[in-house]
Amino acid sequence: MNIVAIETATPACAVGVRTTSGVEVTRVVDDGRRHTEALAGALKTLLDEVELEPRDVNRVVVDRGPGLFTGLRVGIATAIAFSQALGCDLVGVTSLELLAGGAFDSGVRGTLVACVDARRGEIFAQSFLLEDAVKALDSARVSTAREIVTMWPANATPAAFTGDGVERYRNEFAHLALATIVDQVVPSVHAGLSLGTVRSPDEAVSPLYLREADAVANFTTRERPQ
Amino acid sequence: MMGLVLGIETSCDETAASVVDEDFHVLSSVIESSIDQHRAFGGVVPELAGRAHVATIGPVVRRALLDAGLDPLNPTILGIAVTSGPGLIGSLLVGLSAAKAYALAWGVPFVGVNHLEGHLFAPLLERSDLEWPLMTLLVSGGHSLIVLQSGPGEHEVLGETIDDAAGEAYDKVARWLGLGYPGGPEIDHLAQSGVAGSLKLPISMTGDDYDLSFSGLKTAVVRATEKQRDLPIADVAASFQAAVTEQLLRKLRGALEHHPVKGLALAGGVAANSALRAGVTDLAKEFGVVAHLPSMAMCTDNAAMIAAAGTYRLRHDGPSSFDLSATPNWQLADVS
Ligand SMILES: [Zn+2]
Repeated sequence: MNIVAIETATPACAVGVRTTSGVEVTRVVDDGRRHTEALAGALKTLLDEVELEPRDVNRVVVDRGPGLFTGLRVGIATAIAFSQALGCDLVGVTSLELLAGGAFDSGVRGTLVACVDARRGEIFAQSFLLEDAVKALDSARVSTAREIVTMWPANATPAAFTGDGVERYRNEFAHLALATIVDQVVPSVHAGLSLGTVRSPDEAVSPLYLREADAVANFTTRERPQ
Repeated sequence: MMGLVLGIETSCDETAASVVDEDFHVLSSVIESSIDQHRAFGGVVPELAGRAHVATIGPVVRRALLDAGLDPLNPTILGIAVTSGPGLIGSLLVGLSAAKAYALAWGVPFVGVNHLEGHLFAPLLERSDLEWPLMTLLVSGGHSLIVLQSGPGEHEVLGETIDDAAGEAYDKVARWLGLGYPGGPEIDHLAQSGVAGSLKLPISMTGDDYDLSFSGLKTAVVRATEKQRDLPIADVAASFQAAVTEQLLRKLRGALEHHPVKGLALAGGVAANSALRAGVTDLAKEFGVVAHLPSMAMCTDNAAMIAAAGTYRLRHDGPSSFDLSATPNWQLADVS
């Protein structure tokens, strides 16, 4: 299977391709939130490099978040249009499982908390157990670094933390004894290609926001004007 | 079929796709609006609009291709035209990203189109015997401009609003009167049974130029209704509508006196307004020029007009490159 991966959940834009013959190229093409400008050209360059035509692509895997809302929309709109235009499969994966997969590939084992910077002092977090494979221990949620650190059981086994949410709040996470920080800010495109290959395709893929639009949140907590 | 262009429009709350041929015949035009999600907020909520576009873009484009009798996996199109500004950044990005991906997948060129220039191409979609030059009043919720068009793609902005857009003034006054969103149709409907002039309102004239101003009018409505509390709401609506129309027509008249043209065109969402349509019809008659009033479907944002403008831009400027950004504040005057 020729599979293409799209990653736009963080300020970075990353792409990857794995061909039927096993050639794989992954690349971070931008790290300054210029997803729109970077993505399509990067896909073209990547396909050219592995000598594939767009029509040769059998499957597109895309990170559906959680992460930067506009980044996610750029990545997902691209994935939807590209797969629809080619009539090929579309698979959605989450940024947190890609961080877990990336940590797993770099040899991390045991408990891992993946954190994506959610801005406004918050992070998107999810816990995983990394043994023979990556297993989710809970579901993705909105939290803060302080909350995670203070709620962490004193007698807990050593754990690893990764993602740009950890990078951003490194000082908070440094308070945890027995914690290792796995340097990784961009969800792993390599993990995306692997997950995308084994998962069954999705009917439709939509962003995982984990947060309501501001106006909706404000509206429901505020009294309606007369 | 030759020379087909697929248009994609996502600058505000409408997700639209359309296929137009080189003679500007509309083969298909599909529009999905998220307006129902915005009504409670009295205006378009950008984040909600952005979310809606991601959900609808794929199905809308597919429908437009099928309606035009094209194979959605291998459409025989010349290229893709997509609105790349002005508009809501989060909304523009969805259409632009999708357009690039379709272009890459099918191996066809794409071009970024100015949404306002799209509106200027709307009359070409509805009549092939258009004579130039044309004076166009482009009025919507986001824009109010008087444009002199010497031909397709050749335009000079004579004047524009210095504060609120005409449609925005309608929305604000409607909110003040406790009416629904969008305000245009509500006020227009009420105005039918009201007496214009019941409420004394100033006609704001910004000077000898063709610039427009509507924010003072909204303030005047608020102040005047506070003084005349018993005035029926229909009279307020009729008075406000008359004041907006009066200002637009006076400025248009000034423009027509100084720039001889063959036709007078209305474009944009406010072009659906009954008082404005009647006023423009009369003004055209007075100057002995043809009035081009768009059909209701062509007043609202649609992708056929983007495809039409894109057909022109592809031919004259060539395609855009994949690193094209969205330009949320792209002025019509900067399009050349
Ligand atoms: Zn418009």
